[in-house]
Amino acid sequence: MAAAPRPGSEGADPALPLPAHIAGPPGRRRTPPERMPVYALVGNPNCGKTTLFNALTGLRQKVGNYPGVTVEKKVGETYSQHGHAMRVIDLPGAYSLAARSPDEAVTRDVLLGRRADTPQPDRIICVVDACNLERCLYFVHQILDLGRPVIVVLNMMDLTARAGLEVRPAELEEALGVPVISCAAVQGRGVVELRLAMSRRELPLARHSWTVPAPIAPVVAELQASLVAADGRPPLIARAEALLLLTDQDSVRVAGSTPLSAVTGAVLENWRRRWTGQGTDWSGTLIKARYEVIHGLCREVIRRTGDCGPSLADRADALLVNSGWGWLAFAAVMAVMFYAIFALAEYPMNLIDGVMADLADRVKDAMEPGDLQNLVTSGMIGGMGGVVIFLPQILILFLFVGLLESTGYMARAAALMDRPMSRVGLHGKSFIPLLGSYACAIPGIMATRTIENAKDRLVTILVAPLMSCSARLPVYLLMIATLLPGDAVPAATKAGLMFLMYALGTAGAFGFAWLFKRTFLRGDPPLMILELPPYQPPHFGEILRQMLERAWLFLKNAGTIILAISIVLWFLSTYPKHPDPAASPEVQIAHSFAGEAGRALEPLIQPLGFDWRIGIGLVTSFAAREVFVSSMGVIFGVEGAEGDTAPLRDALRAAQWPDGAPLFTPLVCLALMVYYVFAMQCMSTVAVVKRETNSWRWPLFQLAYLTGTAWVVTFLVYQSGRLLGF
Amino acid sequence: MSASPFPLIPLCQLPAGETGRILRLTGDEGFCQRIREMGCGEAALVTKLSGTTMSLCRVRGMRLALNHRAAIGILVEHLPLAPR
Repeated sequence: MAAAPRPGSEGADPALPLPAHIAGPPGRRRTPPERMPVYALVGNPNCGKTTLFNALTGLRQKVGNYPGVTVEKKVGETYSQHGHAMRVIDLPGAYSLAARSPDEAVTRDVLLGRRADTPQPDRIICVVDACNLERCLYFVHQILDLGRPVIVVLNMMDLTARAGLEVRPAELEEALGVPVISCAAVQGRGVVELRLAMSRRELPLARHSWTVPAPIAPVVAELQASLVAADGRPPLIARAEALLLLTDQDSVRVAGSTPLSAVTGAVLENWRRRWTGQGTDWSGTLIKARYEVIHGLCREVIRRTGDCGPSLADRADALLVNSGWGWLAFAAVMAVMFYAIFALAEYPMNLIDGVMADLADRVKDAMEPGDLQNLVTSGMIGGMGGVVIFLPQILILFLFVGLLESTGYMARAAALMDRPMSRVGLHGKSFIPLLGSYACAIPGIMATRTIENAKDRLVTILVAPLMSCSARLPVYLLMIATLLPGDAVPAATKAGLMFLMYALGTAGAFGFAWLFKRTFLRGDPPLMILELPPYQPPHFGEILRQMLERAWLFLKNAGTIILAISIVLWFLSTYPKHPDPAASPEVQIAHSFAGEAGRALEPLIQPLGFDWRIGIGLVTSFAAREVFVSSMGVIFGVEGAEGDTAPLRDALRAAQWPDGAPLFTPLVCLALMVYYVFAMQCMSTVAVVKRETNSWRWPLFQLAYLTGTAWVVTFLVYQSGRLLGF
Repeated sequence: MSASPFPLIPLCQLPAGETGRILRLTGDEGFCQRIREMGCGEAALVTKLSGTTMSLCRVRGMRLALNHRAAIGILVEHLPLAPR
């Protein structure tokens, strides 16, 4: 599907030569260089770069139908048609080299060779959405200025007819002077042709040229000369950077920018002062000049074949974003999701429960009674099994998140949510990271890189852990099962209680965002412009792949961290042995290390209705929230004589205070869920916030304010409940 | 910029289904630059699809959602007939 090869560029060669700047002067080269050529995959957000990256490298990076899925560079390897290795770097989507957000800054810095950890790409693959060619070509136009060999991939060619367009790759190739590959990456079409183009010995440099507008031309020349002389930039990069400095009015703001030398800075400042005095809009002039060239190009390359009146998608958008129906649809999606988590998961959960019980029985029969048998059945199988049983419900959550992402609804939900979010000082773009945090706060926090404003981004990071992640699901489910046992209670009631917890976390996130935006992170109300991706049928293969990946991560976690903590906890609750071998399990655990530690903690948590055993669960679950469930399994498995096989919820319902009062009353179950809604019980989140904010100040602040809030709110819930007679 | 024979209105006030030509961008410079780079600069044709608080529109073949604060800074001339 590639357009006809250009003279001098055709034919693949097994000995793909490296560019001169890597390989060195030909005359002095004696042995083939070892460094493999580096390709960068770039393009606008949501144009299919990662799908193409996965097809080329065989890797399985996450893809989705909304802008901002990839927020950091991903590296993989592929092979030329003759088996030579080539490195491919998948870069975050960007609308321009003038970066406005941290993810775009990654792309700019890699392309300009500013990153010490990444080699500057030798060749660049520009992926463009064939249905949005004019807009995508703006970024391609900037890339061509870098003077590197470029391959243009016209992706989504299968959708052009539906959009009423006919796009001609051969004409585009002729106009730009670089290879243009026609592609439909989702269907795997065009990947072979792209690999062939990547395998070419020589790739022609772009024939494209454009005239910098006359008022700007002198400063481009002066800045280019200064960047070469004072900043040591190669001449071609210097020209691209000069144009970038003039387009990017805030070029030094975004993280990763290389500071300019004093000489170049003075040149830029001098010209800016002069233009400002004359009222010249240098940035607008440059962008307009590029678009004029692109517009002319598109007239040659695109033919409109259909009507451009309102489409079905336009009508659907009007309904889903700009009407009361949008809120109804959103509420319905959420209700169905929570109901499905309870109603559909029952059968596989019973199956896992049966397998775990059977395994424990077999091990018990095969081993002599004693500490080792107790370690395996209570510590290992009991601890791990208590968490693994919740896998089906977590998978159902990911199925729904995958459906929202894949169909294009996620961006519509972000647009819908902009209005309520703007009331607390956030904008719709914060919605996608926050919704992602329902699955896991870590990718959610990383997704904030798409937010341009640093204060808005920080507020989103600070409140993201309040969105109930999937690790909290086992805790909620266990507490709901303890609170509302048996089949007599309808699934809808349980789903409603669970929804209440999610709503409480969301309300907390909005409340704190409002507080932060009116105090120490004060800023202007945000402006939002969001590109709405096309509606697509869900890619069930991709959704299934992401669910399996998530299941594997969950099981790996259960088999490593949770297993290790369960074993340590078993040891701490079993030793030292009570002097009286006939002591009851309750007396034994109270005598153990865990019992001692828990009692030391008890005064702090007793006002919340929690005893020392729950306290141990709170401490151990700081590693990961779901560890609370395994900790309860170990602690109550040790205590109960029949605890090995009895369901955990029955053990919890039977648990008592020393005076015989039940421990897990409905009020305590509710208080415990409320505690987990607010508490920042996750070491990995602390680490990722440190990395994203590049400081310990914010994660420590976040830890303090969330833990403090959890204690205060739980105290209020529990004590108010008691006053009301619960 | 040449004077427009048509009334100049913010994008949020452009009626649904109508087309306008962007004549002026006002407000935050960085934001103006970004929307120009996305193809919504001066002289671009914009078709309003729906909404006033959240303006959904089509520009150069792409579908965009702009909140009220963003749309109020984009001044368009209301063209009487949608160009094909």
